[in-house]
Amino acid sequence: MASDPIGFELFRNTLLSIADEMALTILRTAYSGVLRDNMDYSTAFCDGAGRTVAQGLTLPAHLSSFPDALAATIARYGDRMQPGDIYCLNDPFEGGMHIPDVFVLKPIFFEGERVAFAATICHQTDMGGRVAGSNASDSTEIYQEGLRIPPVKMYDRGEPNETLFRLFEKNVRVPVRVFGDLRAQLAACHIATEAFLGLIHRHGVKQVKAYMEDVLDHTERLTRAVLRELPDGEWSFEDWIDDDGVEYGKPIRLFVTFKKRGDSLVADWTGTDPQPKGAITNTLSFTKAATYTALKSVLSYDVPCNAGFYRPIEVVAPPGTIANGVLPAASAARGLTGFRMIDTCFGALAQMLPQRSIAASEGGNTGVSIGGYDADRKPFIFVEFLCSAWGGRAWSDGLDGNANLMANMSLPPVEITEAEQPLQILTTEFIQDVGGPGKYRGGASIRRDYRLLETEAVLQVRADRHDFRPYGLYGGSPGRASQNVMNPGTEDRALPGKLTMTMKRGDVFRHESAGPGGWGDPLERDPLRVARDVRNEFVSRRSAREDYGVVFRGETVAVDEAATIALRAELRARRGWTSRPGVSR
Amino acid sequence: MIVFPNMTSTGARFRVGVDIGGTFTDIVLLDAAGRIHTKKVSSSVDDYARAIVDGLREVFGETGLSGSDLVEVLHGTTVASNAILELKGARTGLITTRGFRDVLEIRRIRMPKLYDLGWEKPVTLVERYLRLEVDERVDAHGEIVKPLDPAEVERVLDRLLAEKIEALAVCLLNSYANPVHEERIAEIVRRRAPGLTLSVSAEVLPEIREYERTSTTVINAYVMPIVRRYLGTLRSGLDKSGVKAPLLIMQSNGGLMPDAAAAVRPAHIIESGPAAGVVGAQALARKIGLGKLVTFDMGGTTAKASIVEDGEVSRATEYQVGAGIMHGSRLLTGAGYLLRVPAIDLAEVGAGGGSLVWIDPGGALQVGPRSAGAFPGPLCYDLGGTEPTVTDANVILGFLNPRQLAGGAVKLNAARAHEVFESRIAKRIGLPIAEAAYGAHVIAASNMMRAIRAVSSERGRDPRQCALFAFGGNGPLFAAGMAKQLEMRRIVVPPAPGLFSSFGLLFADVEHHYVRTWRRLVRRVTPAELADAFGRMEAEALAQLAADGFTADAIRIRRSADCRYEGQSFELTVPVAGGAIDAETVAGIQEAFGREHERTYGHRAGVEEPVEIVSLRVVGLGIPDRPRVPDALRVDRSGPGRAGGERRVYFGPDLGWRQTPIIDRPDLTTPREGPCVVEEYDATCVIPPGARASLDAHGNIVIDLPREGEVI
Repeated sequence: MASDPIGFELFRNTLLSIADEMALTILRTAYSGVLRDNMDYSTAFCDGAGRTVAQGLTLPAHLSSFPDALAATIARYGDRMQPGDIYCLNDPFEGGMHIPDVFVLKPIFFEGERVAFAATICHQTDMGGRVAGSNASDSTEIYQEGLRIPPVKMYDRGEPNETLFRLFEKNVRVPVRVFGDLRAQLAACHIATEAFLGLIHRHGVKQVKAYMEDVLDHTERLTRAVLRELPDGEWSFEDWIDDDGVEYGKPIRLFVTFKKRGDSLVADWTGTDPQPKGAITNTLSFTKAATYTALKSVLSYDVPCNAGFYRPIEVVAPPGTIANGVLPAASAARGLTGFRMIDTCFGALAQMLPQRSIAASEGGNTGVSIGGYDADRKPFIFVEFLCSAWGGRAWSDGLDGNANLMANMSLPPVEITEAEQPLQILTTEFIQDVGGPGKYRGGASIRRDYRLLETEAVLQVRADRHDFRPYGLYGGSPGRASQNVMNPGTEDRALPGKLTMTMKRGDVFRHESAGPGGWGDPLERDPLRVARDVRNEFVSRRSAREDYGVVFRGETVAVDEAATIALRAELRARRGWTSRPGVSR
Repeated sequence: MIVFPNMTSTGARFRVGVDIGGTFTDIVLLDAAGRIHTKKVSSSVDDYARAIVDGLREVFGETGLSGSDLVEVLHGTTVASNAILELKGARTGLITTRGFRDVLEIRRIRMPKLYDLGWEKPVTLVERYLRLEVDERVDAHGEIVKPLDPAEVERVLDRLLAEKIEALAVCLLNSYANPVHEERIAEIVRRRAPGLTLSVSAEVLPEIREYERTSTTVINAYVMPIVRRYLGTLRSGLDKSGVKAPLLIMQSNGGLMPDAAAAVRPAHIIESGPAAGVVGAQALARKIGLGKLVTFDMGGTTAKASIVEDGEVSRATEYQVGAGIMHGSRLLTGAGYLLRVPAIDLAEVGAGGGSLVWIDPGGALQVGPRSAGAFPGPLCYDLGGTEPTVTDANVILGFLNPRQLAGGAVKLNAARAHEVFESRIAKRIGLPIAEAAYGAHVIAASNMMRAIRAVSSERGRDPRQCALFAFGGNGPLFAAGMAKQLEMRRIVVPPAPGLFSSFGLLFADVEHHYVRTWRRLVRRVTPAELADAFGRMEAEALAQLAADGFTADAIRIRRSADCRYEGQSFELTVPVAGGAIDAETVAGIQEAFGREHERTYGHRAGVEEPVEIVSLRVVGLGIPDRPRVPDALRVDRSGPGRAGGERRVYFGPDLGWRQTPIIDRPDLTTPREGPCVVEEYDATCVIPPGARASLDAHGNIVIDLPREGEVI
């Protein structure tokens, strides 16, 4: 280590607390629900060259979002940056992630030299475009998706860029909210600047630069040390997205190969399908985020999120594929692709590290948006993202009702929704028999019913795992497919996974998330755990018998041991496995 | 052991504070002259009340006092939080609205850790088969959409009774807007199962957000039978010992409540312990006129910080029981059991004397969050510890007495600390042992500084304008070093810092906190409706305080409102003027919110931006007939191990080793310059070179640090 180890650790600690303090500032002052409840934003502290040195703990999906944004901004403005400048952008083809994610970047100067950047990214409630919320999955080119902002000056030497703010005002549907959230981003950048100048005051600019270099080197050493522990070799896996919501029924293949040798690793997405028409194409940066997230989750040490972590890991994705789109790819709903990439990565990593593996989770969140105009022509927009449950793990059941690893989002409170929206939520509950049976079963996913109280609204849903179910591992079964239903119990109309349609007053839309996969042979599951699941109605008596081979005495949940042993033997003979299947779909 | 001086009981009025910890129960007596007498007895884990009663009897034997000399018994207890942490609460059932029985288990769905495949959710306090639904519906405006069917309630109740539940929680959707269905259910339950412990959400927490309300109501039910039983046992034990004085329980919010009230609203006494120290700091601060201070309480495994401004503690509106300790980030929540009741706002980090010192795979020196705990403890305790700890570093540096702690009660093996620290830490990072140990010390300090920042700069409060109020066994040892880093210039160390939490009990007042969701845009609020809403809450507070025995002139009411700009989801609590409510009162809310927003976040929106009231709050205070805080505190303590002499202490690479006097607190009656170390029975206070220390009229050590480049 170039600098002294103690001073270094103190510096690192301070930088991390700056990045966290930025994140807290946004959390506390944000206006929109996407930020406050879903924490769909991130903050970072970068060096003068734009390399991420410390990232605030928020959304895994933003893991590698900052390098490209800063690179694009530096490429455009480079030496022309001035103290007091603040930049913003959202263009996926010039540093951005997707249209709703707006970056605000502030270069920090000391004695005329650019020494650092304060960087923030927030998912804005609306950025214009053809659908409220700018989240539509059925746009087919970026030009439909909303206001596209290349790296531009938001403030020029301290003066607001009036042209830009006017453009915002006229292009977004809810300017008060968007300006509120942009203000939160600016406040976070301001706090970071003050704190960083304090560090320079304390240590001197030369030492601060040396420390930042050390932070990256230290993280790289950590990463290489934990990569070295993993076995060498090559592992591939494929998984599918049902379709892009435009060309219904046309599945999209994702394919990844992990090549691990010594202390470095390559994740290669070659073999992944070409970019589809629908708005689910990734930028390369988002493909990286998904890859890093899966990898970080199986490493034995909690490596910090900065540019040092990225050094020994190469992520490859051919341009023109869904993993690395080119113009005019639409990308608003590419979150879906990220979720499926996590599943794909975990499938490959399960072969590398069976003892740390997890079966497929619910497939990621489902986006539900309901929007329209009330009697006074005032618009309402309701948008929420529902996460559900985890796949079974090599050591434990999948979690019932838990956010996805890729997006640690919260579940919006029903009472807030009912107080603020013309909606009534009729149920929010676990679904029986939804998770794949296994020695460790898939977690219980959630059903939610929405009733419209206004005259009319447009319902838009982006769900998946409607055709391709979440896979089970090592003998565990796949989970149940997701379901969308209009007016359950009356009209009972089955809907596709992705849809845009009109709802009328009194209509009830039901979403049931897909069930996560199970892990291990269900016939090896402790019958007492099956009994407990039956008593709690996570598992039906039928499934206990047919999937787990557990027999109860009469209508009780007391296990009939002899009958259970006999039934399990019969089920084993009937299925005739010669070996435990690695993956079940 | 601490020996009590013999005291005559001629008319002295004693108040006694009892603070129960996992290992020890501290009993603190305070007389009207400000003399404090302390007693430590082992906690009786099977029956905490027994240790208290037996301990008091011992005190009576030693001092010649009797039960009739006590005028108040003040008590902080972990009975309720232990019941939750150990999942030993009552067998509890839940009745809720059809379609929503899983709200309790789904929680907010977010997890407290990222990238952690091993995450497990906390065990749900009411298992799914004990959560039953009734087909009813009230909408967000309080209108009944689907009426409640009493026959269905009876059926559901009978099923739960057949499952032998001991407590029942009732939480229906939107009951904050109209509690009528919950009230009907409560009537049916009281009629059909009169002995059953019942907790109804509209009574416990009439606030919007179903998960938060359900969780709080369930916890209230889950701990109620245990708390009730415990307080009953304690009361009868006190009665038998001739103690007729009222028993007051410390709440998480820092106020006291009588035992009878605590038995009905136990959700308010869950985090009774940590609150007391902050209340003590607040009371002393008011007494000695400190405007702003950050409290810093560091023990063996955790360090806690909190802020007191203008004599007021800062309160959070919710917290998680059993969430474990924060390490690094306050952003991630969801680890414990959510309680939405006011609590003193504490930031806690996993750093204490027992925190492990280690080297990460990248070669950087790290401290915590893992701890050697009480057993095996630090290397120098010689109880089988194999990994170096912060306490070992402090022994190597000479901050701690290398031979013994607690006046000789704990013998230390400094050689072992040196040996292991040298081989496992110093050699591997290539530094002399003193520098490495100093490194561990300052890294521990920097982790703890994050807690201080969390309660100060992260809320727009500048720590440089605050004094640092340090207590706990390790607080005074780290205080000066941290204050220097944070550019705080004054440190205050109260008498008997290691026992300070139990003093806090003696200084608190009776308080009852009420909250109610009341969503309105301020610009549309009429004074009449605001007066009506506050009036109803105040009536509740007045009735409770009257039941507690306070006369009308001894009651104070404080109003506040949780506000936000419309569309925001985090509220700030701002005071609402007392007295008659008129248009000016309403305008005052708008202005107070703008000011507070600016102070906390650095900006306020223009006047065109609507401000929304989300909830109203009322605090009812019972004013004691004489002030609870004496003019000066004097700790009577005698025993072996008085400080004295000198030893070498290492103050970092710049200042190096210094021959340092080891002194007693009274030696500071004459102010002196650092370096010196004040060794006391329960804590060690380090005064570094360049600092100046003195004793104030109240017995506090006051340390002043020079500004950068300034010489005191």
